[in-house]
Amino acid sequence: MIKIAIKDLKLFMAEKRSMILTFIVPIPLITLFSLAFGGMGKSNDVRKLPLVLCDEDHTSASRHLVAQLDSLSALKLYITSTDTANSLIGKGKEDAALVLHKGFKDSLEQGRNLPLELRYDQAKEIQMGMLMSVLSGNLMRFVGTHSLERKAIVRFDRQNPGMDSAMKAGVHQMISSNFSGGGGSPNEAMLKATPLAAQPENSPGLVQAVAGTAVMMLLFSVAGLGASLLQEKEEGTLRKLLFSPLGATNILFGKMLSANIIAMVQLAIMFTFSWLAFGLNIKQNIPGLLIMIVATAFACSGFGIFLASFVKTRAQVQGLTTLIVLTMSAIGGSMMPSFVMPLWMQKMALFSVNYWSIQGFYDLYWRVLPITDPVFLSRVGMLFAIGLVLNIAAVRMFKKNILNIA
Amino acid sequence: MIHVHNLVKSYGDVQALKGVSFDIQEGEFFGLLGPNGAGKTTTISILSTIVKPDAGSVRIAGHDLTTDQEGCKRSIGVVTQEIALYNKLSAWDNLLFWGSLYNVPTAELKERITETLTLFGLADRKNDAIETYSGGMKRRINIASALLHRPKILFMDEPTVGIDPQSRNLIFEVLEKLHKEGMTIVYTTHYMEEAERFCDRIGIMDKGQIIAQGTLAELKNTGGIRESIAVTFNTLPEVLAGKLIEVLGEACKITGQTLHYYTANIQADLSKLILRCGELGADIAQIEIQKVNLETVFLSLTGKQLRD
Repeated sequence: MIKIAIKDLKLFMAEKRSMILTFIVPIPLITLFSLAFGGMGKSNDVRKLPLVLCDEDHTSASRHLVAQLDSLSALKLYITSTDTANSLIGKGKEDAALVLHKGFKDSLEQGRNLPLELRYDQAKEIQMGMLMSVLSGNLMRFVGTHSLERKAIVRFDRQNPGMDSAMKAGVHQMISSNFSGGGGSPNEAMLKATPLAAQPENSPGLVQAVAGTAVMMLLFSVAGLGASLLQEKEEGTLRKLLFSPLGATNILFGKMLSANIIAMVQLAIMFTFSWLAFGLNIKQNIPGLLIMIVATAFACSGFGIFLASFVKTRAQVQGLTTLIVLTMSAIGGSMMPSFVMPLWMQKMALFSVNYWSIQGFYDLYWRVLPITDPVFLSRVGMLFAIGLVLNIAAVRMFKKNILNIA
Repeated sequence: MIHVHNLVKSYGDVQALKGVSFDIQEGEFFGLLGPNGAGKTTTISILSTIVKPDAGSVRIAGHDLTTDQEGCKRSIGVVTQEIALYNKLSAWDNLLFWGSLYNVPTAELKERITETLTLFGLADRKNDAIETYSGGMKRRINIASALLHRPKILFMDEPTVGIDPQSRNLIFEVLEKLHKEGMTIVYTTHYMEEAERFCDRIGIMDKGQIIAQGTLAELKNTGGIRESIAVTFNTLPEVLAGKLIEVLGEACKITGQTLHYYTANIQADLSKLILRCGELGADIAQIEIQKVNLETVFLSLTGKQLRD
C-alpha cells in the first residue's frame, strides 16, 4: 500500500506544471473571496452605495436635503428626473431612486409625513437592506428631527387655539429645545419603500439561481473540449486528421461546433427543467431565450476552445478549468452578488461570460425587456464579442502549438 | 512521383535531417530503413505534410509541398505505426468518417468501404465497435482507412508491428495487390524479410542522411561485401575487443559479444580468423557463416542492428 502511494506521489511530482496548478489554483480563489468578503464589517469600510435622487419639489428645503445626502461618504448620488430613474431601474442600470415628491417643503414645515419614497429593483433586496440602513439613520438626522419638532408644535397649536402668542412662543421654544439635540431612533416609516417589479411572476432569486448555475456548469462542460483534443492526441487520431486535407482550423472549429450544440442543448434542458420544476416563466419570451442560449453557448464554447488550443495534459485542463471557471463565476455573479465586492472587482466582472449572461436572462425574465431593447442587445453583443475574441485567439494558439499538440 | 531534394530539418540543436535527397518512381515500392533516430519519421512527417522542412524541396505527384499542400494531401494516404481509430465507433463508422475527409461522394464511399472490408476479411464485423477488435484486426482497419480515397501514394510506417500471423499475411496480400495495381508505396519497417520481399528499392538512413540506396542486389554489392563470419564469444572484455579490432582491421565490427567479419573470400579467411582469436585468448562459443542479406548490409553500413 505504501509503495503504491510512493509511486503515485513520484508520478505526481514528475509533472511539474500539474503540481503547480494543484497548489496554486486555490490561492487566487482565496484571494478573490477574501477581497470580496474580507472588508465587510470593518468600520473603515467606505464602499459607496449608488443612489439616484429625484427632486420633484425644487425648493430650498429639498435642495438642502439633497446637499446633505450628497455630503455623505456612504452614498454616490446621481440626480435625474423620476421618469428617467424609473427607466434606469427597470433596465437594471440603477438599483434604487429616492424621490422627494412635490410638497416636501410644505410637509416639513407643517409637520406632516414627509413625501419621501424609495423606489428600488426588487431583485436587489440585499443591497436595499444596506441602503435603507444608511438612508433611514441619516434622513432622521437631517429632516426627521425637524419634522417631529414641527409636528409637536403644530399639534400643540391645534390643541391650544386661544393661547396667548407670547406664551405660545415660549412653549414653542421649549419644544424646539427638546429636539435640538437631534438624533432619536431611526424611523423607517418616514421612508416609503416601493419595489419596482416588472415581472412579479418570476422571482429574481430564481432567475439568478438558474442563470448563474447554468452558465457556471456550462463552462465546466465545454472545458472538456480540451480533454477531448488531448484524447485525440493520445489515440493518434489528431495526427491522422492533420494528414487529411481538413486543416488545423477546421479541426478546431469542428470541435467548437459540437461543443456549441451540446452547450445549447444543455442550456435548453436546464431552463426547461426550471420552468417545469420551479415555474420560471420562460414562455413569456421564447425568441429571447433562444437568442440568449445561442449567445451564451457561443461565448462558453469560445472559452472551451481557447483552453483546448494550448493545454498539453489532462491535469492542466483540470487545474486551469477549476481556476478560471470558479474565478469567472465568482466575479460574474454566479456564486455571490457582485455588489459585495470592491469596485475594481465589479469592473472585472465585465470580462466574464457569467456577468453578461446572467444580466441577459435578467433582462428577459425579470425586467421583461423586449429583444429589440438596446440594453438586452448589448448583453447579447458582448457575449458574441467575447466568443469571437476567444475563437480568434484559439485559432492562432492552435496553429502555433499544433505540432506540440499532435 | 516523389522528388525529394536536399531536405534539412532541425529541432533545436538537434539536426534531424542533413540534406536528404531521393526520388521514387510511380508504381515503385520503396523501403526506408534506418535505426532509431536516423530521421525516417521526420522524413515521412515532412512528406505527409505535417512538418515543414527548414530547407529543401519536395514534389509529390506533381504538387509542390510548399505551394500546394492540399494537392499533396489528396494524393497521399498515410498508415501510421500507432493505430489511429475511434474505439467507440464501429469499423463502418470509422471508415465512413475517415473517407469523408477526402470529399469522396457518399454513395461511392460506401461501396469502397464494403469492398475494402471484404478485402481485409472484416465485412461480417463492420458494425462492431473497434474496441472489440483484436490488434491485428485494428491494424487492418487502420490500413483500410488510408485507402478509401484511392491515393496515388501510400506511406506506411511499420504497419505490421505486433500483430498475429493471420493479419500479417492478409496485409501482405493486400500490399502485393496494391503494388500490382500500380500504387506507389513508401514503406518503413524493422523487419528485413518484409523489405526483401516487397521493396523494389531501399534507402538506408542513418544520422539524418541517406547513406545508401538502390535495389537489394545493388545494396548487397555495396563495398564488395558478399558474406560474413559471425563469431560469438562466451565473454568479450573491452581490452580483448579492442585488440581484435586492431588485428582484424576495418572488415571487423563488434556488437555485444559477437564479432562480424566481412569478407569476399570466406574459405581463405575462416581459418585465419579462428587462429587470430585463439592467439588473443578469446573464448569462442559459436561460429556462423552468414550470407549477405539486408541485415548484414545494414550492419556494415551503420554499425548498428536494425532493431537497436
